Amino acid sequence: MAREQAVPSAAAPAPEFALPRRAKVWENVFKFIRKKPLGALGFFLIFFLIAMTLGAPKAKFGVPELPDSPLGFELGRPFMAPYGEEENFKNDAGRLNTHAAPTADHWLGTDGSGRDNWARIIWGARRSLFIGIWALALATLAGASIGVISGYFRGWLDTGVQRIMDALQSFPPLLTLILILTIRPFTSEPSLVVAAFALGFVGIPQVQRIVRGVVLSTREQQYIDAARVIGATDARTMAFYILPNIMASIIVVFSTGLGVVILAEAALAFLVPQAVPPEGASWGLMLDQAENDGLSTHPWPGIASASAIALAVLGFNLAGDALRDVLDPRLRLG
Amino acid sequence: MQQYIIRRILLNILVLFLVATMVFAFLRIDSDHVVNTKAAGCFTDLSGDVEQCKDVARADLGLDSSIPNQYLEYMTDLVQLDLGNTFSDKKPVLDEILARASPSIELGLLQIVVALIVALPIGIISAIRQDQWIDYVLRFVSIFFLGIPVFVVAVFVILITSRYFGQGDAFPFVSDWLGPHGLGWVEIWEDPIDNLKRVSGAALVGGMATGAIIMRFLRSQMLEVMRQDYVRTAWAKGLRERVVIIRHALKNALIPVLTVIGLLLGSVISGNVILETIYSIDGVGFYVTSAALQFDYPVLQGIVLVVALLLVFINLLVDIAYGWLDPRIRYS
Repeated sequence: MAREQAVPSAAAPAPEFALPRRAKVWENVFKFIRKKPLGALGFFLIFFLIAMTLGAPKAKFGVPELPDSPLGFELGRPFMAPYGEEENFKNDAGRLNTHAAPTADHWLGTDGSGRDNWARIIWGARRSLFIGIWALALATLAGASIGVISGYFRGWLDTGVQRIMDALQSFPPLLTLILILTIRPFTSEPSLVVAAFALGFVGIPQVQRIVRGVVLSTREQQYIDAARVIGATDARTMAFYILPNIMASIIVVFSTGLGVVILAEAALAFLVPQAVPPEGASWGLMLDQAENDGLSTHPWPGIASASAIALAVLGFNLAGDALRDVLDPRLRLG
Repeated sequence: MQQYIIRRILLNILVLFLVATMVFAFLRIDSDHVVNTKAAGCFTDLSGDVEQCKDVARADLGLDSSIPNQYLEYMTDLVQLDLGNTFSDKKPVLDEILARASPSIELGLLQIVVALIVALPIGIISAIRQDQWIDYVLRFVSIFFLGIPVFVVAVFVILITSRYFGQGDAFPFVSDWLGPHGLGWVEIWEDPIDNLKRVSGAALVGGMATGAIIMRFLRSQMLEVMRQDYVRTAWAKGLRERVVIIRHALKNALIPVLTVIGLLLGSVISGNVILETIYSIDGVGFYVTSAALQFDYPVLQGIVLVVALLLVFINLLVDIAYGWLDPRIRYS
């Protein structure tokens, strides 16, 4: 009798060992916003930055003569931009409407050539994001592969690699960038691709160091031993056992790195304008131009570009911090 | 310890050797551009004879021999502390750099001083009042200064000081102390007030950014130390709050912070390119940007080498100081 009571009847609903209800996506989003308001602000800034770059594709896919476009086709005017990149405006007297204060037509005023600051900020977002993504792609791809290999094999290979990384890290980053970009390898004209690769190159040792540290602790885990026992080769262990487990760290490095690179590009364009292509809108070049025109008399281009740079960097920093707390508390420092 | 220091010094020499080799390689990626820049002055003098100009420049730079020979020559020059001559006025690069060292060093040290003045009290308060409103406010301020790039802060400070506190306005001392001054440098022993006015703005802006990093690190260290047993013992003994916090907790929390400060000193030295350029302080950083504008490669190469040397030895000193301050750390 007692036994029969213990057996749940077919009609009995919801056994207590049922899995907890899966949280819906928006519930998770709200939880994130509540727990990490600053991180949510960071993600909002990043989404806004990405939205600024969106525009209708202009050319066919895979056009080879547009190497500076990340997707293989060029985007037309950004949806958010009210005016063209180089569109000049005239005032009632028929002269160029230079250094205007903000109005309903020009939300952030105009610059020294009568171009709309708000439109130029939106056009410039593409350049920042393009350089940021390509530089980080190079830095994480190279840095993470070197880090995984040297952390996995250790021994003389690791020692040798670490010495080379020490040497690379002893280069003052900004000075090295200036040196590389004034030498301008492989091109006679300043090029965005070279700038992106130079920025990525400088980032390799930082990424490598972080990844190697994480790999060193990961490789001592039992599941790595288990993988070896079942006969996985070194390459297989690294690709299918270590890499997926350090992915969180790599994502964190990528998101924080984007902010650093965008800032470095702006700083570079501001300090040594001839290191980057002069045509097209760029936040760093805008700030440089604003400083040359005199910040105290014509503040608006300076305010606009400086705020854009600051908000983009702030966004990536905040989002990176929050991601790190959520995905990989191991990396937390201070 | 001695063995460790000797080994580290040998390793550093190896690292510096690699750095020098990489700089050598960088300059040979596109040596035509270097030669053209060097020969540029000659083009205008002797119209037509472009190739002869280039040959002279190439010979001057030692680019006419084979690569191994060039490398050997370059390394012997380096060992003899000969960094070559500048393209612009043909003076020895090393002398030019040393002549501009004092503004950079002064700015770097002042920045650290400002950072400490800001970070120490804020870090302590924010740790002992954890999760109270003052902690949130201070942390937000530090995130703000961490997130916002130095040159953006500098641009805004200059904008505000020059626009609202410019010459002839009610508060000229604001733009005197926070705004940029013209080029030219006054040593501190010649006119201390004028000297400080020239660097104070940049030091304050840079110090806030550096201070934010130190503050965050100090706060987390303090939180960790405050949870230790010996701090609980100190409280239990009935010591006053000030004694517990300053003598027991802060002393131990500061050790790791010191390493961060040492590492920051390195980044401050190289990061001041931006501040020196914005504030027109005639230091090494300002020299970098003006050399880059003229494609003066020997100067760029020389500064990279000198700063790399500095960074490597600051790191060594930091590690040694760390072991000396914290006997728990043993180097093998």
